[in-house]
Amino acid sequence: MRQLCESAVEAALAAGAEYADARAVVRRSQSVSTKNGRIENVIDVETEGIGVRVLAGGAWGFACDRRLDAEGAVSAARRATAFALASSVGRSRALAPLEARSGSYRTPVAIDPFDVPLADKVDLCLRAEAALRHDTVVVTQASVRAQREHKVLFSSDGVEAEQELYETGAGIDAIAANDELSQLRSYPSAHGGSSAGAGWEYVEGLGLEREAPRVGEQAAALLHAEPCPAMVADAVIDAEQMALQVHESVGHPTELDRVYGTEASYAGTSFLKPGDLRSLTYGSEQMNVTADPTTPLGLGTFGFDDEGVPAERQPIVERGVLTGFLASRESAARLGAGRGGHMRAEGWSRMPLVRMTNLHLEPGAGTLEELVDGVKDGVFFETNRSWSIDDKRLNFQFGTQIAWEIRDGRLGSMLRDATYTGITPRFWGSLDAVGGPESWQMYGLTNCGKGQPGQGAHVSHGAAPCRFRGVQIGVGA
Amino acid sequence: MTLAREVAEAALGAAAEEHAEAVVLAERSGLARFAASEVHQPTLIENVVVNLRVVRDGRVGSAQTNRLDEDGLSELAGRAVEAAESARAEPGFPGLPSPEPVPEVEGHDEATAGLEPADLARIARAAIDAADPSPVYGFVTSGTSEIAVVSTTGISVEQSITDAMALIVAADESASGYAEQTAWALDGIDATAVAREATAKMARTRDAKTVDPGHYRAVLEPYAVGELLQHFAYDSFGALGLVEHRSFLAGKLGDKVFDERISISDDALDPGGLPKAFDFEGVPKQRVALIEDGFARGVVWDRETAALAGGGARSTGHAPPVLSRDYGPLPLALSVAGGEAGSVDELAGLVGDGIYVTRLHYLSTVAARDGVITGMTRDGTFRIRGGKIAEPLANLRFTVSVPEMLSEVPGLTRGVALINQNDFYGERYPFGVLAPALATARFTISGIGSSPGI
Repeated sequence: MRQLCESAVEAALAAGAEYADARAVVRRSQSVSTKNGRIENVIDVETEGIGVRVLAGGAWGFACDRRLDAEGAVSAARRATAFALASSVGRSRALAPLEARSGSYRTPVAIDPFDVPLADKVDLCLRAEAALRHDTVVVTQASVRAQREHKVLFSSDGVEAEQELYETGAGIDAIAANDELSQLRSYPSAHGGSSAGAGWEYVEGLGLEREAPRVGEQAAALLHAEPCPAMVADAVIDAEQMALQVHESVGHPTELDRVYGTEASYAGTSFLKPGDLRSLTYGSEQMNVTADPTTPLGLGTFGFDDEGVPAERQPIVERGVLTGFLASRESAARLGAGRGGHMRAEGWSRMPLVRMTNLHLEPGAGTLEELVDGVKDGVFFETNRSWSIDDKRLNFQFGTQIAWEIRDGRLGSMLRDATYTGITPRFWGSLDAVGGPESWQMYGLTNCGKGQPGQGAHVSHGAAPCRFRGVQIGVGA
Repeated sequence: MTLAREVAEAALGAAAEEHAEAVVLAERSGLARFAASEVHQPTLIENVVVNLRVVRDGRVGSAQTNRLDEDGLSELAGRAVEAAESARAEPGFPGLPSPEPVPEVEGHDEATAGLEPADLARIARAAIDAADPSPVYGFVTSGTSEIAVVSTTGISVEQSITDAMALIVAADESASGYAEQTAWALDGIDATAVAREATAKMARTRDAKTVDPGHYRAVLEPYAVGELLQHFAYDSFGALGLVEHRSFLAGKLGDKVFDERISISDDALDPGGLPKAFDFEGVPKQRVALIEDGFARGVVWDRETAALAGGGARSTGHAPPVLSRDYGPLPLALSVAGGEAGSVDELAGLVGDGIYVTRLHYLSTVAARDGVITGMTRDGTFRIRGGKIAEPLANLRFTVSVPEMLSEVPGLTRGVALINQNDFYGERYPFGVLAPALATARFTISGIGSSPGI
């Protein structure tokens, strides 16, 4: 693969490119899903190819080819260069400097998920799903997934990086319904469960069968719960929902390509401006956010990003002040700060974009009970159900699968159809407390979309339960 | 014979199984993406993906590859067999389908298939120039998608689909406008006209005001209608949503659910859309009436969900790709019947006082069973006063019950537009909604977002 990448880079330079990088990728993934005691899907997917990105005439170009041979590599390089030259308007683009180096990285794995027989994965899903059943539960489902990606990057700047990245994940859901309502509960996370950069040991540690009875019971109980009322009150939000809150209202707005407008036609832009660095108050002093592609178990953990920048921990928000952006080499050079390190592509057939890696809300102090204890009247929100945020990442609305009223520092009745809404910096400014390290958990999301053509990214977020004051709760249609 | 069918036959041959099916999706596409009036992410994709499904004693397993040599297809067969052997026998599995005649459809254009990267760059440049001096963000794309299904039951179908699209957001710091065009032939779109529509809309959005959250009458352009209905359809117009009680139509088939002006079908055979002849099992596509004159008539089915539901349900040709089987059959060719209004201005006259919405952003289902969806308006939101489109508004958060929104519809435009719904994730499979502009008496604004502009 290294030789093919080198050939592609040489072909691009010979065709007129000023810069070129080539990524050869071989990815295999397995997924099993079961529903209502039936097997829904057992599938084993492999894909391979080479993607070549060039700068020619001051313009970017990208082309890919599924053929991992010399013909495919050279063809992709020439087509990428021709497309760049055809798109050129004759201006130059600067990239943040990058030291020539070679290196490798492999996800630490105790149990290779591809050594676990598919039949065992099917059995686990069926057992976990059976434990979800309850009288008014009409749908039970379980899924497990595993992925291994071997990729080699070679660039004309002298970078050679070889990486083997593993992911595993799993999740269960129960849907209860009656003539009027349908209610969902999930574990360990909504939208297909949670994944980690790890081996099968991660799935074993989730305890799907152990948690399933509670999940099924709560789905059924939600049919009898009162709807969450609309009010302005204090909110305590669990770590799972906080992970998505961080993703949507901190991760995406701090992507420097959005700040510069290059994602405007799809995912949107950002309320942040380049000049906000080290001056904008993002939230309260309790707010500390870090981008860290070195975090063990992260889906955004690697040795090098897809431009070859070595992984490095970076503060994004410190004591409520914006101190960093997620950047590429090009956007970092334009900003005049940082060196990039956040360029990631979905496989071999897409151009790298600025993406989150692992973005964490750093822990504070205290337990969930202590956070709740500080609320006279409020709501505790648990597990995401719906999410939406505007194109500048200011106005957001989230719904959770379940909620609980808080009265005089104690959890009370279960509530259904709970939502809360806010404006990003105002909301983070109302952050009053972040739970301590003992309640800090990491969640891996596999459905982050961006780019045209679209690309899915896999990212992780660590968070603890948080308490916010004076939140708009409940939105009616 | 298409490359897709050649590969499908080779994969089926390599499997040498008694019960097997090969589905191939081959893509050749280009996309010239631009920002601030410069092409910044031009992408060329060539890929061929083959999915092999094997059935052994009622046990079903699948594997997928893009390695098309002998070794690749042989290993594909081995992995598919292992997947099937690892599964459990499914008594409800209806088996692989038998062949049925598939309809002749349009949807392939040689000129579009023959577009070169330099052509795309040239079209993008023409659109950018047409918008000058307004900065534009968007893309021009074209592609060819070949689909083939071959099975041991005798199915052998293939189709080559072309598509072309131009999408533009014209924007500066304080204004933004949007336009798009999609067709299966390049000569069905005009990228410079898209640029002019977006810039004209942009020019009207400066100095945006706000409104108080509350219930409003509204006019939605086809862009907004298409996106909202496609999102609603994922839970409510597919059979799995009905079976699992997620669909708004659960228990309501035959009932009057919307205003009598509303008729919605799923019609992949319509040459005005992005035509398809068969689904991902090779079953012929059928036109399905979903809503007729406000009455709930049906949902779309695949064979698996039909077998699960029983009661005589039959496939309507809506089996999804194997990786999307969790979603069940999906309507990907929605068509909303037009009304009598000649223009959006006429609809504004019917609304009198309300909100005008160009397009939507980041939709999310709040409560599927009730059809409640939230999202933002974007790139062209205006007040309607005295029956006229008036001052621009900030982007608004809406949280609407789609059934409630469609329960009182003062009018729709006669003309419909094809609104693309494909964000080009995964393998290219173009689809969209044929939608008119629509006036509603019930549109709920639940919050105020950012001002127009980037």
